[in-house]
Amino acid sequence: MTEASKSIRDELLKPDSGSVRRSRIDWIMRRVFEASAFLTVLPLFVVIMFVFVRALPWLNPAFFFNNPLDPEPGIFNAIIGSIQMSGLAMLITAPIGIAGGVYLSEFASSRVVSIGETLIDILLGVPSIVAGIFAYLLLVPVLGFSAWAGSLALAVLTLPIVMRTTQEVMRLVPVSIREASLALGIPVWRTTLLVTLRTAFPGVLTGLVLALSRALGETAPLIFTAKGTNALNFLEFGTTMNAMPLVIYRYAGAAEDQLVGQAWATALVLMAVALAMNVAVRWRTIDSRVA
Amino acid sequence: MIRVDGGQGTVPGRVAQGAEGGKHREQSAPEASAGTVELRGVEAFYGTFRAVNNVSMDIHPRSVTALIGPSGCGKSTLLRSINRMHETLLGASVKGSIHLDGVDLYSSDLDPVRVRRVIGMVFQKPNPFPTMSIYENVAAGMRLLGRTPKSELDGVVETSLRRAALWDEVKDKLKQPGTSLSGGQQQRLCIARAVAVQPRVLLMDEPCSALDPVATLKIEELIRELAADYTIIIVTHNMQQASRVSNHTAFFAMDDSRAGYLVETGLTTEIFTAPKLPLTERYIAGRFG
Repeated sequence: MTEASKSIRDELLKPDSGSVRRSRIDWIMRRVFEASAFLTVLPLFVVIMFVFVRALPWLNPAFFFNNPLDPEPGIFNAIIGSIQMSGLAMLITAPIGIAGGVYLSEFASSRVVSIGETLIDILLGVPSIVAGIFAYLLLVPVLGFSAWAGSLALAVLTLPIVMRTTQEVMRLVPVSIREASLALGIPVWRTTLLVTLRTAFPGVLTGLVLALSRALGETAPLIFTAKGTNALNFLEFGTTMNAMPLVIYRYAGAAEDQLVGQAWATALVLMAVALAMNVAVRWRTIDSRVA
Repeated sequence: MIRVDGGQGTVPGRVAQGAEGGKHREQSAPEASAGTVELRGVEAFYGTFRAVNNVSMDIHPRSVTALIGPSGCGKSTLLRSINRMHETLLGASVKGSIHLDGVDLYSSDLDPVRVRRVIGMVFQKPNPFPTMSIYENVAAGMRLLGRTPKSELDGVVETSLRRAALWDEVKDKLKQPGTSLSGGQQQRLCIARAVAVQPRVLLMDEPCSALDPVATLKIEELIRELAADYTIIIVTHNMQQASRVSNHTAFFAMDDSRAGYLVETGLTTEIFTAPKLPLTERYIAGRFG
């Protein structure tokens, strides 16, 4: 055995005095990371359990299908109101947000893109109470305390989400796909809409669902605009409308046990809806990736 | 004279013929010159950097012309200039003139979109549309441009897949995603997609470099068949492939400013057995590149 190969053997096989200490540190670090992950997820589970336990006694058909002023009160008008206002907000936000995201990804010069991204970031960071005050000062004088104002306030909050996700998923579409379409003699705008956007669509859908999730849960903008009401409001956007976050806000500090209980139950419903939407989006994304 | 009308006005009868076997020639015998590409003083830039320097050559119709040469000699850039894809890159530009059957492809009253309908392209890495089925991929060129009735689409899809020697392998699974095919099949799918819009010229940018040898041979055979009906220009790094597949060859090299220039063109047999310039001979002999 030569000197050279002997020293290589030594380097590989010689017992290392530091190795035991190293593997102990390794074990400790692993436990630290695991504990951190656990601590991060723990509050989520605590909240879910808490809400679940408090809400359960108050979940019954009357809760879902009756209105607040009925003999057996429920939150039906809030459920319908949330759906209507969030739905209208999405109808406003989706086309504008998607178009904006497409523009930033495909057509804007790099200067416009960086300005646009900064603006979107600012909008994303706006606290919802600020959006609420903004709506109160600007929209309510024009639209009154109404579901129109409420939906618009929600639209302002959700627009940057849709724009940002659309821009990012469009960017992820490989250049080769666009080139394949252009090389067939398909004009740029058709390529963008029918090929690039189509390819990015699952991601765009995710952005829409995230935006809808946010719209359903926002309270502050609605406090100052749609205000909430005990009456059932179906498609009357010109006047006040109830919503699930408003129910939680109003009932949480109430004196009567039933109202507090219904606040918990509404919270559970909101969480369940958000969870369902997120799961549905993940399933769809996994499906299309596998295909 | 070539019809630069995007190929929309072609006769349905020609498609129906193809559906019966795919190897029939068109009834109307095209002019002998139809599909001649003339390059004069072509230069291509990425911003201020000149990648292609003063290329002048004729591309002959109904044949395969191979562009060979070491990496970085602007062969792909030149290819992409022919169908006006080069300018889709930010800051890219082309100088000089490129004519197809006498039509200036860069004239200001010619929409690049129409140029790309008449000149098709197949890329190095197969790029079928991921959200579309095999059928939809082949039909994409027709569908994405307007309402073609389904009956006609079916015929076009079948003809094109037969032309690309893919029909028998996929006829029972046209609804499967385009990406579910193997690499070689995907490339043939891309060829089918390109010929479906009935171009006159086919540009192929190293179409086999991402494929295994078996798939490569199949595609080379396909290229030889397609040459009967199209003007084909193929960029290839593989000299043996160039000698197998092409009728004419153009050899490119890089000058001191790192721009690609045309060294020599000629019949493939001549270039490979008796090249005129010593640089060509050294490349053919494998002494560089």
